[in-house]
Amino acid sequence: MNSVVALIIGFAVALIGYYWYARYFDEKVIQVDRKKATPARMYMDGVDFIPTSKHVLFGYQFKSIAALGPVLGPIISLQWGWLPGLLWILLGTFLIGWIHDYSSAIVSLRNDGETFGALSYKLISPRGRVILLSFMYFYLLLIVSAFGSIVANMLKGTPSVPLAILALMAVGLLSGFLIYKKKMDILLVTVLMVVLSLVAIWLGTVVPIGGSYAVWVVFGLLFSFIGAVLPIWSYTQPINYISFYLVALGMLGAVVGILVGRPDFSVPVFTTYSIGVGPLWPILFVTIACGAISGWHSLVSSSGTARQLENETDTRYVAGGAMYMEMILALIALIIGAATFATFDDYAANLKALGPAGIFAAGLGALLGKLGIASEFGKAFAGAMLVILAITIMQLAVRFMRIATAEIAGEGSPFFRNTYVGAFIAVLLTYILVMTGTWSYIWTLFGGANQLMAALALMLVSIWLAKEGKAWYYTFFPMLFMLITTIAALVLTTRNLIVAASKLSAGAAAPPAGQSVGVAIGGNVISAAIAVFLIIAALLLAYDGLKMFGKARAGKLGKAPAPTAAPAAKA
Amino acid sequence: MNSPETGRGPSPDPGKDRSARKGGGILQAAREFIYGMAAHDMTRFALKTRSSMEHLFILITMGDMLGVPILPPYYSLRLLPYVVPQISTWKRRMLREKDLMDAIF
Repeated sequence: MNSVVALIIGFAVALIGYYWYARYFDEKVIQVDRKKATPARMYMDGVDFIPTSKHVLFGYQFKSIAALGPVLGPIISLQWGWLPGLLWILLGTFLIGWIHDYSSAIVSLRNDGETFGALSYKLISPRGRVILLSFMYFYLLLIVSAFGSIVANMLKGTPSVPLAILALMAVGLLSGFLIYKKKMDILLVTVLMVVLSLVAIWLGTVVPIGGSYAVWVVFGLLFSFIGAVLPIWSYTQPINYISFYLVALGMLGAVVGILVGRPDFSVPVFTTYSIGVGPLWPILFVTIACGAISGWHSLVSSSGTARQLENETDTRYVAGGAMYMEMILALIALIIGAATFATFDDYAANLKALGPAGIFAAGLGALLGKLGIASEFGKAFAGAMLVILAITIMQLAVRFMRIATAEIAGEGSPFFRNTYVGAFIAVLLTYILVMTGTWSYIWTLFGGANQLMAALALMLVSIWLAKEGKAWYYTFFPMLFMLITTIAALVLTTRNLIVAASKLSAGAAAPPAGQSVGVAIGGNVISAAIAVFLIIAALLLAYDGLKMFGKARAGKLGKAPAPTAAPAAKA
Repeated sequence: MNSPETGRGPSPDPGKDRSARKGGGILQAAREFIYGMAAHDMTRFALKTRSSMEHLFILITMGDMLGVPILPPYYSLRLLPYVVPQISTWKRRMLREKDLMDAIF
């Protein structure tokens, strides 16, 4: 297939989904009401609850949901051929992804802008909130571990990237200082810092920096640790701000490169049902999470976006629209992976040698090459962009883990309330998991946790829809599919981890390069224990949730007062 | 501190003027979209930082209203007119029940 044709199909699905299915659900099922006061208007506090323009929120939502997930998942999925990944990206978004993001925002919007922690307490059970918060901690641990491993592999495999990332740290600190302390014009600072970053990327191609995997793991975690303990305005936010422009330039370059180069897919339509990490069902559905459906989005939609929506009618544009835009991003990543190499064997060999991140960097470098950009610079730029996508999320996740440690363990001992202690525990756990675990399993676990989060969000929405007397099956059946598929994927991964550990202990298999047998067994056991915890947490929440769903359908939960105004016209 | 009319300071939202925004068309939408991607979360974090400092400021200056007389009431009374416009939004920020998940976004 030609890459431009794939893009056109993607846009067609997005347009039909957004203007037909999403509009129908928005107007007929949810019955959004333009006159109904949103939490942003009712509880305007100047900080969390602020009525904000829908275009601003669309950008905010997209930036918050798009990280490494939609970029790497599709590239890994090409091991099954391009068709399974393409179908899951398009159908997953059309049938499940957008409705998940949209309805998460709507539930929060109609419940005073409450977070999912508070909503699970209210709609599921008091223990539901505790389980969800514990689940969240491990979910974030898996995010930091999966991303940290990618960062370390990328920095180790592409020596032209580390200088750019070091420069980005300096540029971020300098930006924060100039914007907040020196009150310099933000546009001037932006242009200066973006140019400095580009110069640093070029310098990286001249002055490569080598280092082992362990060194770069520590570097990535140190970067996140600093981000978690320093005031957010001084380090994390300026870095994220400058990073945005580099990522935007890269994605723009990719789209233009595809349109100019119009490369054909070299990966076959379909290869085989089972690959190294498992069979197509259920593993594909956790391999591609963001880009089709992702639980992370429900957190953004509820805690972040729902509190800023000025009108209910903006929700489809902001949450649904951003999800469809992310689908296009995942499609671009799939195209980059499928059309970069001459043959499937080249793709497979590079996947083994460089990992999916290396393939993305090489592919984007090749696309930028079609625009006349030197391949070495293009590859270094793409590598830096990927590391940036990972590291900006890692900083925020470690920061949250620090706060969660203080919240959960702080009551027992004031020691855990210390900023440095909470952040150190987070990076230490991550270090142990990354250094002992196997990347492919960590990625699968991360995808599993992410998809379970999505299933739980859909469950909350289904309970709320049933309670309100609305058509609940739009979210209930997607929830069942995600719950069963993800638990199956986690059970399969747990089994694989236990088999791998027993083979290692019996001497029937060799440990991964750079790991001793004992470390590799320990890593597999830790990963399996995390998977078991996620399964148990999900089953408990599902049990409580389904019980409440039954009560809601039977009308035992009561119904919220009906809107006072008539349903409004179109968004 | 926040402006009394809106409860916020220098506009974190470039589309503050709603009527102007509606007439802006595609360019204005694109501008807001880029701002949303690039800087909206930075603005939110800046507002959160300022809000924490305001909590302290109001506690110090108006503490005797809450039973914590840090400043002599004379000074609190002198400052009262400046604090009054903040009270409606401040009490929402201060009294809203918070959840751990508030820390993410």
